[in-house]
Amino acid sequence: MKLNGSIIKSIAINTFRETVRDKLLYSLLGFAVLTIAASLLAGSVSLGQDARVIQNFGITALLVFLLIITIFIGTQLVYREVERKTIYLTLSKPLTRESFYLGKYIGLCLTIAVCALVMGVVFLAVLRWKTGQFSTPVIWATSFVILEAWLLTAVGLLFSSFTSALASAVYTFGIVLIGHSATTIWILSQKSQGILRYVLEMVYYLFPNLEKFNLRNEIVYNFQPDLQQVLLVVAYFIAYTAAVLLAGLAIFRRDEF
Amino acid sequence: MLKIDKLVKAYQFRRETVPVLHNISLEVPRGKIFGFLGANGAGKTTTIKVIVDLLFADSGTIMIDNLPHSSIKAKRLIGFMPEQPQFYHHLSAREVLLFVGELFELDPKTVETKAKNLLRQVGLADAENTVVRRFSKGMHQRLAFAVALMNDPKLLIMDEPLDGLDPLGRLDFKRLFLEQKKLGTTIFLSSHILSDVEEICDEVAIINKGQIVKQGTPQKLRGTYPTLEEYFVSTVQKQ
Ligand SMILES: Nc1ncnc2c1ncn2[C@@H]1O[C@H](COP(=O)(O)OP(=O)(O)OP(=O)(O)O)[C@@H](O)[C@H]1O
Ligand SMILES: [Mg+2]
Repeated sequence: MKLNGSIIKSIAINTFRETVRDKLLYSLLGFAVLTIAASLLAGSVSLGQDARVIQNFGITALLVFLLIITIFIGTQLVYREVERKTIYLTLSKPLTRESFYLGKYIGLCLTIAVCALVMGVVFLAVLRWKTGQFSTPVIWATSFVILEAWLLTAVGLLFSSFTSALASAVYTFGIVLIGHSATTIWILSQKSQGILRYVLEMVYYLFPNLEKFNLRNEIVYNFQPDLQQVLLVVAYFIAYTAAVLLAGLAIFRRDEF
Repeated sequence: MLKIDKLVKAYQFRRETVPVLHNISLEVPRGKIFGFLGANGAGKTTTIKVIVDLLFADSGTIMIDNLPHSSIKAKRLIGFMPEQPQFYHHLSAREVLLFVGELFELDPKTVETKAKNLLRQVGLADAENTVVRRFSKGMHQRLAFAVALMNDPKLLIMDEPLDGLDPLGRLDFKRLFLEQKKLGTTIFLSSHILSDVEEICDEVAIINKGQIVKQGTPQKLRGTYPTLEEYFVSTVQKQ
């Protein structure tokens, strides 16, 4: 695998620039920011609402919007590159497909991080203004959501390397649903018998366990994750994402345009 | 400069194998303008895409300056202009060239002036900061040519470079091709416009249904026919 740092950087920056100059991204992000702000404001007005429940709602909205953005840019952008044949411009240059693929991935991750940052800052600002307090658990929860989105970006890229944009988006969404049901799937498998148990266990191990990135309950009780938990989640993210990227790359290396 | 040896390529299409190139062999001499001629669907674009590594050959070898065509070293020597070139819509003409400069890892200090000069050469000086989204077909073609020259290529590979240009643009381009030739660049171009080919090419090869049927100087191939076009039509019809 031949990687070239400066090429990866150029492609990442170009990808990032492409997304931040996309009007649709702004609409999505604008809508997300409004929803998060509105939910926090409306929530604290209605009497008896616990601030933490509102925080939980806010972080869920942040997660949902970030995943929409992730699926959108992770699957549409690569497809657009092939469809508009801009890929001819890059792939015919002296660079390896590995560098190209990794550059795309990093560029998309950069965009996702910036979107999460914008939403997170709005979230914290409104919270601060409403309750007068600063919530560290919200920062932790947002960081974990970013890791989840980065993992799913790799999944979106993997699908894009062998199927259409729409199919990639649908499959990635399917992974989101399965990934967030990981705990349920595990419980189901342990209650099942024979082949079904085997299949469910396979599903549990094969698909990403996205519940590992869920800190929403911690927010409610104002818990902060301990170091061990953070390291485990980061290690899980790195291992799973690396595996998915390698699988995608194995396909992309042989793709013809 | 470019040597293609027994190139075979088939597309996989809906589980069927569609053979497109059967045993293509040709040699492009250094410093010459080489025309690659063929009817629609003959396999010109397929051959060119294999050369620039967008498609993979089923068998056969391609060498560029005695280097395997898919090596990074070989790719540094190539300037490539695809059929109906497209660019990132979010970039301006200048930004496209700077990005290409980065991909070739050119010296950042010289890239800026180089981009400016090239845009002037291809007649896009006024459109330097226009986003590519607003470009006309001919402007795309001009920008693509500038892109292909960004790395001072030793081998220019162009798929129908004169397509979509008005008569003045074609004249401009032919002049630029000859200028490149003077600089020692080898040019490999595909085209249907045979009068242009006859005018500027030192050597041509005719591809028909995935096979090279003739190769030689335009004068030699034409023989007793009044124009290359008439020779081409009769050869392709005979097949
Ligand atoms: N992706 C593909 N899948 C299946 N068949 C293809 C594909 N691309 C091209 N072909 C077929 O391969 C043959 C050669 O196509 P190619 O594009 O190389 O022709 P060409 O000589 O460049 O033609 P033109 O002058 O029209 O550009 C055609 O019969 C075409 O239908
Ligand atoms: Mg063609």
